[in-house]
Amino acid sequence: MGATGSKLEKALGDQFPEGERYFGLENFGNTCYCNSVLQALYFCGPFREQLLDYYANNKGSGDAEDNLLTCLADLFTQISSQKKKTGVIAPKRFVQRLKKQNELFRSYMHQDAHEFLIFLLNELVDILEKEARAAKNDSETLSPPEKIANGPKNGQPNGVHKEPLVTWVHKIFQGILTNETRCLRCETVTAREEPFIDLSLDIEQNSSITSCLKNFSSTETLNAEDKFFCDKCCSLQEAQKRMKIKKAPQILVIHLKRFKYIEQMGRHKKLSYRVVFPLELKLINSVEDADAEYSLFAVVVHVGSGPNHGHYVSLVKSHNHWLFFDDENVEMIDESAVQTFFGSAQEYSSNTDHGEARWDGMVRYAL
Amino acid sequence: MHRVASSGNTANSTRPRKEKRLTYLLSYADDEKHCAGINCLAISKPTLDGRGHLFTGSRDGTLKRWEVNENSAICSATFESHVDWVNDAVIAGDNVLVSCSSDTTIKTWNCWSEETCTRTLRQHSDYVTSLATAEKNSNVLASAGLGGEVFIWDLETVLAPVSKSSDIMEEDSSNGFISSANATSVGSLRAINSSTSISTHTNQSSGSAPTVAKGHKESVYALAMNDTGTLLVSGGTEKVVRVWDPRSGSKTTKLKGHTDNIRALLLDSTGRFCLSGSSDSMIRLWDLGQQRCLHSYAVHTDSVWALSSTPSFTHVYSGGRDMSLYLTDLTTRESLLLCTEEHPILKMVLQDDNIWIATTDSSIHRWPADGRNPQKALQRGGSFLAGNLSFSRARVSLEGSTLVPVYKGPEFTIPGTPGIVEHEILNNRTHVLTKDSSGSVKLWEITRGIMVEDYGKVPFDQKKEELFEMVSVPAWFTVDTRLGSLSVHLDTPQCFSAEMYPVDLSISGKAEDDKVNLARETLKGLLAHWLTKRRKRFGSRTSSSNGDVLSGRDFAARSLDHSRIEVDGNADNDSTVYPPFEFSPVSPPSIITEGSQGGPWRKKITDLDGTEDEKDIPWWCIECVLNNRLPPRENAKLSFYLHPCEGLTVQMLTQGKLNAPRILRIHKVVTYVIEKMAQDRQSDGLGGEDAPGLPLRQSASDGPRGLKANPKFKSLIEIWCNNQVLPPDMSLATVRAYIWKKPEDLILNYRVIESK
Repeated sequence: MGATGSKLEKALGDQFPEGERYFGLENFGNTCYCNSVLQALYFCGPFREQLLDYYANNKGSGDAEDNLLTCLADLFTQISSQKKKTGVIAPKRFVQRLKKQNELFRSYMHQDAHEFLIFLLNELVDILEKEARAAKNDSETLSPPEKIANGPKNGQPNGVHKEPLVTWVHKIFQGILTNETRCLRCETVTAREEPFIDLSLDIEQNSSITSCLKNFSSTETLNAEDKFFCDKCCSLQEAQKRMKIKKAPQILVIHLKRFKYIEQMGRHKKLSYRVVFPLELKLINSVEDADAEYSLFAVVVHVGSGPNHGHYVSLVKSHNHWLFFDDENVEMIDESAVQTFFGSAQEYSSNTDHGEARWDGMVRYAL
Repeated sequence: MHRVASSGNTANSTRPRKEKRLTYLLSYADDEKHCAGINCLAISKPTLDGRGHLFTGSRDGTLKRWEVNENSAICSATFESHVDWVNDAVIAGDNVLVSCSSDTTIKTWNCWSEETCTRTLRQHSDYVTSLATAEKNSNVLASAGLGGEVFIWDLETVLAPVSKSSDIMEEDSSNGFISSANATSVGSLRAINSSTSISTHTNQSSGSAPTVAKGHKESVYALAMNDTGTLLVSGGTEKVVRVWDPRSGSKTTKLKGHTDNIRALLLDSTGRFCLSGSSDSMIRLWDLGQQRCLHSYAVHTDSVWALSSTPSFTHVYSGGRDMSLYLTDLTTRESLLLCTEEHPILKMVLQDDNIWIATTDSSIHRWPADGRNPQKALQRGGSFLAGNLSFSRARVSLEGSTLVPVYKGPEFTIPGTPGIVEHEILNNRTHVLTKDSSGSVKLWEITRGIMVEDYGKVPFDQKKEELFEMVSVPAWFTVDTRLGSLSVHLDTPQCFSAEMYPVDLSISGKAEDDKVNLARETLKGLLAHWLTKRRKRFGSRTSSSNGDVLSGRDFAARSLDHSRIEVDGNADNDSTVYPPFEFSPVSPPSIITEGSQGGPWRKKITDLDGTEDEKDIPWWCIECVLNNRLPPRENAKLSFYLHPCEGLTVQMLTQGKLNAPRILRIHKVVTYVIEKMAQDRQSDGLGGEDAPGLPLRQSASDGPRGLKANPKFKSLIEIWCNNQVLPPDMSLATVRAYIWKKPEDLILNYRVIESK
């Protein structure tokens, strides 16, 4: 594999970014879903920074048990501290931990990269929250003894109240959606806020990310058998519903729903639609930060015709260069190729099974 | 494979067939008043004494006729048959009242009769929102509703004698068997129409089916017709005003301009001009001849929901979500704030110099309006010039130049009962706490259908906390308040899941361990009047045989079910209504239900005459009340383990899982422990190899058969759960829900307190 590395080094020449490392990740049998996401995360600046910090701060306490967070921090530190500029690393500890943690990823079956990303981020949040809570309890002299009786005021049984903590994962990825519903009878608007870490978009043939986002926040009417229960009218009424992005996240993750469940077939089908994506994206329908602007820095691509097979690769932008990560291999790629290659996948995929079909775009905040 | 799902209105075909439910509606002591918002108003032509009657249709599902004088209003009739909101009502000719409802039906009534519905039209498949008639052609009626359905009816054919009826007409099911000898002949026709399909209906008997006005893609919220019935306009979420020829049902044109839902429409008598009110807060005047908008008036600061014009169509009264009533001169654009209500305005109707205003509140107000000389009102000053951009009025109010209404208070009020806006079913599943629109908090006992406590205007949540009881009773009914009062829904089989001991209900004369099924007793209470009438009619034989209740094929089809149905524990088929389940004959509840035929109906329980059978009432209710058969119940029993407290040297009594009724009290468990200990002492050395589960059912749930427990001994046994001593009155279900709090099987511990 050394050859690849040197080739990349040669290609970059003296433009090779100071202190940057480009390492391929070994595949342990259908772990490309994991590798492609890890590469995208590694080149997500704020995320990598936080994780390396975390590793540095927790080095001393080696007594703690391994978890996904420590394994990931360990892996990232390993990459960033390599002597060589390029090469291949085996994310063995991380993958083992992942398989131990979740039986979904235990098999050698093909996995969904988006599912993995969401699982990983949620897992990291859980660990960070737990640690934060433990630290808080330590500082509060003694943790209060668990109360046995629950008074009548507690109302429902099993009522454990948790106040939400804001971890650095939240700070990087979490945005807030407002779900607005207007009853068509009394015209009262009910707004509900929902945090999100990714936007899952329905896609259409020959569309663009911008138009998919538009559809995402377009008005939907709740009617016929699917009326809205209006608290004001105390009854089911027609209503109009729409989603607005209230707070845009620092890093926006967009997931294109390319795997559609087809009832007749009883399985998922891949929609190989052409969806154009821009390198710079403006979120026009956000409420707070009037027009949030993003620039694309990572794309996770599924290659292949179906959900149960195929391959994941990722495209990552680092220091103004676009890189192509395919497990162990790392190559340079032209920016124009990023868009044309994957944006116009339809023609490309027609007679080979290298059809681009699905990607998680991770778009980084630019302003 | 053929795909059935997800193409339009197929929800019923994909879901498993659900048994019909029985709902009863708790009534207020004052039945003369509406108890929810008023959606519609209509005034009949003046009678000989010179005044017309006022008709009101309410969200409480009823219509009322009022005899109104200068300072009084007497409710002279209540029209009760709709099972959901009455959305609109019109008077066709001199005698016919037509109403439409969210229950998808249109009903016709004789304005002056004893309140019985003469026809029920079931052509619509979704809420019917609006009706329109022609002033000079009382035969034409148009109806419109959600889903874009618009129909034009010929009232003469609709009201023609039943023998000529087609599949779209029917005798009202709830009244048919009382008032008409033809009811039986209609019965056979009823079944056909239930799957109303607009496009496919065939008119075997031509002329009686409505003309379908096809072309609306979305829901219709407003309708109007001209005097002669030659022009129909409709508006809705499509934001356009559509113009139709009601004689053919064909579209003639559409008018664009509004930017939101159209909620109110008016046509002048000639049909040349049209006024529209919209959720975009604008009023627009259209010239239908030129097909263009002549004026747009920015008068309101929020949605316009109601319009009413002077007979000459020179001035318009408008009301809406901003609770304000404006008078606007259509030519000069001068506008005047006449009054402000306390709730959003839903409908207005002019009567001479006054205007009646209906709001989302249950009372109706009459205000002076100078209807005969609106110019006079405008000349008094205080008017402003209506802008023509929607934000212009909003801007005026932002700048602080708040308008002062001409009239401060209504001239006359027909009071209503404040409707219930919030409710909470209490843990005992017998009481419901409610808050009404006036802020009053009340407690209802749903098994007797009465209000038991009026707390006045206190914070609802605080009262809810105060009344918290640590008891767990299965949810045997559900409640909603869309009709302004409490609707209690009973669905089989879940409604039969709650039981109580007679002692808890203060019922005497029953064995201590008898279990009283709450739904069964409630049904007996609700149908007591029906049963009495029925017995009078058919003699007592009916109660013993199924034959009368279930006839022919139906019975055969269900005999399978019956084999699983258990006859309740106490075999005596007593129809005695116990005091905790007696419904007041003074303000009897209404029931809303449907049987195998004819769709849902609503009626006071005291108006049932005993002829109602499985065609009208769900079969499971009849089975329960007549034959004491209840469907098989799940979850009546609860599993638990009984272990000695840790560190106790007492021998394990039993290691297996035990089963007991959910309502079993802890003191019964104590009794069981004592018995087992005594038994073990007797059969010392055998090691207590009893079959687990069985002994408890014998000894504890059905009363101690063997040894009578020694009361002195009893106090020395404690039952613990989750490190807490359990009070003897607590039920197993409550222990599970509030002490154990885990999904696993309950574990109880017992401990012997050594006596000194």
